[in-house]
Amino acid sequence: MTEQIKPDLNFINSVIDAGGESLKKCFQCATCTVVCGVTPDDKPFPRKEMIYAQWGLKDKLISNPDIWLCHQCSDCTAHCPRGAKPGEVLGAIRKMTIKHYAAPAALANMVADSKYLLMLLALPVIIFLLVIASQGHLTSFPEGKIVYSKLVPIPFIDGIFTAAAIFAAVAFFGGVKKYWADMSKGVELKGDLASAVKETIMEIISHKRFDKCNVTKDRSLAHLLVFFSFIGLAITTTWCVFYLYGNKLLGIEKFAFFNFGASPYPLYDPLKIVGNISALALLTGITLVISNRMKNKDKAGEGSYFDWIFIVVIYVIAASGILSEVLRLADIAALAYPMYFIHLVFIFFLFAYAPFSKMAHMVYRTTAMVFAKCSGRG
Amino acid sequence: MEKKFGVYICKGCGIGETVNIEKLKKNTAGGARIPADSIKEHDVLCSSEGLELIKNDIKEGTNTIIIGACSPRVKFEEFDFSGSLVERVNLREFVSWVSEPMTEATQTLAEDYVKMGVIKTQKGNMPEPNILPDLSNELMVVGGGITGITAALESANAGYKVTLVEKEAELGGWSAKLYKETPRQYPFDKLDDPIIFDKIKEVESHPNIKVRKSTMVEKTDGQPGLFDVTLSSNGSTETIKVGAIVMAAGWKPYDASKLGHLGYGNPNVITNVQMEEMAKKGKIVRPSDGKEATKVAFIQCAGSRDANHLPYCSSFCCGTSLKQALYVREKNSDAVAMIFYKDIRTPGQSELFYKNMQNNPGVLLTKGEVTAITDAGNGNLYVEADDTFLGEKIKVEADLVVLATGIVPSTRGPQEYLDGLTEAGKKGDDAKKAYVEGTEKPDFILNLGYRQGPEIPTLEGAYGFADSNFICFQYETRRTGIYSAGCVRQPMNMSEAAQDAAGAALKAIQCVEHVAKGVAVHPRAWDTTYPDPMMIKCTSCKRCTEECPFGAIDEDEKGTPFYRINRCRRCGTCMGACPERIVSFKDFSVDIVGSMIKAVDINEDDFRVIVLACENDAYPALDSAAIKKMKLNPAVRIIPVRCLGSTNLVWVTDAFSTGIDGLMLLGCKYGENYQCHFVKGSELANYRFSKVKETLDKLQLESDRCQLVQVSISEYDKLPQMINDFVERIEEIGPNPFKEM
Repeated sequence: MTEQIKPDLNFINSVIDAGGESLKKCFQCATCTVVCGVTPDDKPFPRKEMIYAQWGLKDKLISNPDIWLCHQCSDCTAHCPRGAKPGEVLGAIRKMTIKHYAAPAALANMVADSKYLLMLLALPVIIFLLVIASQGHLTSFPEGKIVYSKLVPIPFIDGIFTAAAIFAAVAFFGGVKKYWADMSKGVELKGDLASAVKETIMEIISHKRFDKCNVTKDRSLAHLLVFFSFIGLAITTTWCVFYLYGNKLLGIEKFAFFNFGASPYPLYDPLKIVGNISALALLTGITLVISNRMKNKDKAGEGSYFDWIFIVVIYVIAASGILSEVLRLADIAALAYPMYFIHLVFIFFLFAYAPFSKMAHMVYRTTAMVFAKCSGRG
Repeated sequence: MEKKFGVYICKGCGIGETVNIEKLKKNTAGGARIPADSIKEHDVLCSSEGLELIKNDIKEGTNTIIIGACSPRVKFEEFDFSGSLVERVNLREFVSWVSEPMTEATQTLAEDYVKMGVIKTQKGNMPEPNILPDLSNELMVVGGGITGITAALESANAGYKVTLVEKEAELGGWSAKLYKETPRQYPFDKLDDPIIFDKIKEVESHPNIKVRKSTMVEKTDGQPGLFDVTLSSNGSTETIKVGAIVMAAGWKPYDASKLGHLGYGNPNVITNVQMEEMAKKGKIVRPSDGKEATKVAFIQCAGSRDANHLPYCSSFCCGTSLKQALYVREKNSDAVAMIFYKDIRTPGQSELFYKNMQNNPGVLLTKGEVTAITDAGNGNLYVEADDTFLGEKIKVEADLVVLATGIVPSTRGPQEYLDGLTEAGKKGDDAKKAYVEGTEKPDFILNLGYRQGPEIPTLEGAYGFADSNFICFQYETRRTGIYSAGCVRQPMNMSEAAQDAAGAALKAIQCVEHVAKGVAVHPRAWDTTYPDPMMIKCTSCKRCTEECPFGAIDEDEKGTPFYRINRCRRCGTCMGACPERIVSFKDFSVDIVGSMIKAVDINEDDFRVIVLACENDAYPALDSAAIKKMKLNPAVRIIPVRCLGSTNLVWVTDAFSTGIDGLMLLGCKYGENYQCHFVKGSELANYRFSKVKETLDKLQLESDRCQLVQVSISEYDKLPQMINDFVERIEEIGPNPFKEM
């Protein structure tokens, strides 16, 4: 059947603007597809994605699960004879996919654009300043032993972050639903969804796909550290909830090493041990991410603002979190409270804007991997 | 000139360790009857001391010098003693480097070569150049496009008077019809304004250039240095004399009316030539209603690289479409240009332009075979294509389709007409007459007065492009003194055409300078000898006139052959052809080679095989094999010949009657894929030798004793084995029975 191709100059220009400025250099030799370790053999990527992007065929790219099967190993970019950097181009298209499916669209545009950075940061800054003001600490730090809930009481923390998380979850849900529907058009799904999800989770946990990379194979460890430290920190947070409300609602008292009640907790507490190890792992992981990117930038490309803002936010969260604890223990209130403030602002930034930032990759990539398994491309 | 001989043997490069020099000198003195004190040796003859030895003897009166050292293809300047007859005997490459040292067979081999060298100088004479009177060193350039204009300017700036002939009323050709040119300078990203108008001004005001517009060449007679060219303009004619001609008659676009399958005929389907006109006028529009075009499709190889149309690549069309894509983009930044290609071919620097255009967001490219142009219903068209990078079968809407049509050389029309005439001629006079009356005669370009036909020949399988020795001498045609340049000989872009023009101008200058000195024009550009027939013995058999590849020999009214010597390239094909053996050069004749063959030492116990080796390919190939120290059977004696076409059949008799056991001819490859330097020498030799075999059979000599082998220079590593196998075959056949007589 003859398919009608509808070139879209605006889409071409927006891929170029989104970090795919090397896109047009591709002359379709398919070296990229040959060196790619993660592509399926049937209708492999990224050669075809390059020409779709060159011709501005938005529909063939945005709802294409292959875009997410790519893990940006950059083997293609390193071997490209024409300097077309397919890895970077696919990265740009992923960013556009995130923007395309995220609602509200205006927020998505702001997250992807450096000129709105201060405005986006201003929102959590104002929220937390208002809370601090309500506690009367806008002009003076709380007295006595450093306890961060004196600055921002726990109900505020819970309220604000629960709201941010719900907002993010709703945005993700809407985006993924639309994405799944678009991908499914004209595709016959044969696999069983539950086992596809299970396989995908196992694949993510094992980081199997990263091992197929050559040029940037160090990335596997870096991503693994970041990934598991996030899980560790999620466990820690949940654990905090148990300690707090276990004490408050169920009246559980402190026993053995388990210090039920409000923070801060002593360093020997298992919760604290898990939290601190996760924090150090996160800092190590994200530092490795940065150093790998610097090291490989000639071969793999420099990355876009979209990538870097995400990395910087995580880095600031890890660093400010650790420093908050260190400064608290050192009892330097004048530095400890401002550090905690920074920590809160950036955590909000990460959570609330997740569906619009590179954080969304965890959702879209997982969805695409599940879809690929269902449609026999996994 | 009374000859005083001097024989000089070099002992360097291993010769002294392979051959007993004392014995060689002694036997040369005895065998070749040279006074013993005229035979000298030196450790390194090409050293200043060694050369001094020879120069001192020249001062003492020695004038005939035989140098037994390395190949004549090296140390050319060292052993150049002008005023003396010099013969180089190749002891290094043909003896020392290819034979077992200090054996009897090697010793005899070296002695034979020296003897043959001495005999060659004994029989030969100092050449004297043949300079014809009243030579012109002016040039004529036919065609006033970018190639012709550049050729005229290059020659004129080098100080030569030029007549530039243009058929049209204005100079400039196709390049004057362009809106813009592809970039000429790094970084090759911006289009340039046509350069041709500056060049036209320069040509028209140049004191050395006479421009003849609206002019055709009615007749070209004569020979290099003495061409009589009749020009006709608006009904009046004039004859001018020129020394050499650059033929830059250019090309025509392929007839797009044959491209109906690509939509030509629809008003919104135009050619790249029409696109230039449109861009020059202003906006890029849909011709059917004048609406601005925003989706322009370019179809590359429209009729090119297509067995049904033009089977070749026209070379410039990819660059042109990329340029026109930029017209589309520059005139409207919302417009896209979509290019469908077979392969993008952007030779030379235009690759950088391709990269730049590829980087333009609105220039979209895909490989694909365009299968149809169909109506999209809204005044636009669908371009349908198979096997694209975007999918197997796609279609895309376009408001304007541009066909990148290729070029047809201006020589093709005349060639097809002449081919048709030849075909008709074969069917008889009536058919020929009917052909002439019924066929429209195309514009002829040079109207040559040559027996081989009125136009520059075209190569077999070259689709009507003018003759060109594309391997070695691309501007050379088979008509000495006439050089083809630009798209008339090969498709090319403007910068290549300008370079081509400069090259052809240099060849034309070489031609007039060489004939002024009485030296062969090319490829034997050092050669002052020339064929000098003893006409008293001529039987007017016309074999020489028929076989000369360059039309240098014609018959007068009485049927007697005469030479137009400046057309001659000194290949000696006439010498090989002549049954009366009357054609000789001062240093190369039937007698000289025959005597060299007879000088070979024959004894009943050893085999002897003569190899006649073409000087152009076979001889350098043998030198190359020697550098690799590949061993040759010492039964072999190599004698260089100018061209296998110069091989006279009497040498076969000379060889076998003397007792030579085998005769091998090493010549160039002939046929469509290879270009013999003298066009058809080895082909002619092959033809002649097919007759020899019958003669040999009659004499009860096995015809296998005589073999012709075609070899190209790149096969040098196989050559020693080929020769050694031949010697083995001869040994199987057994000794020549005439040996005992």
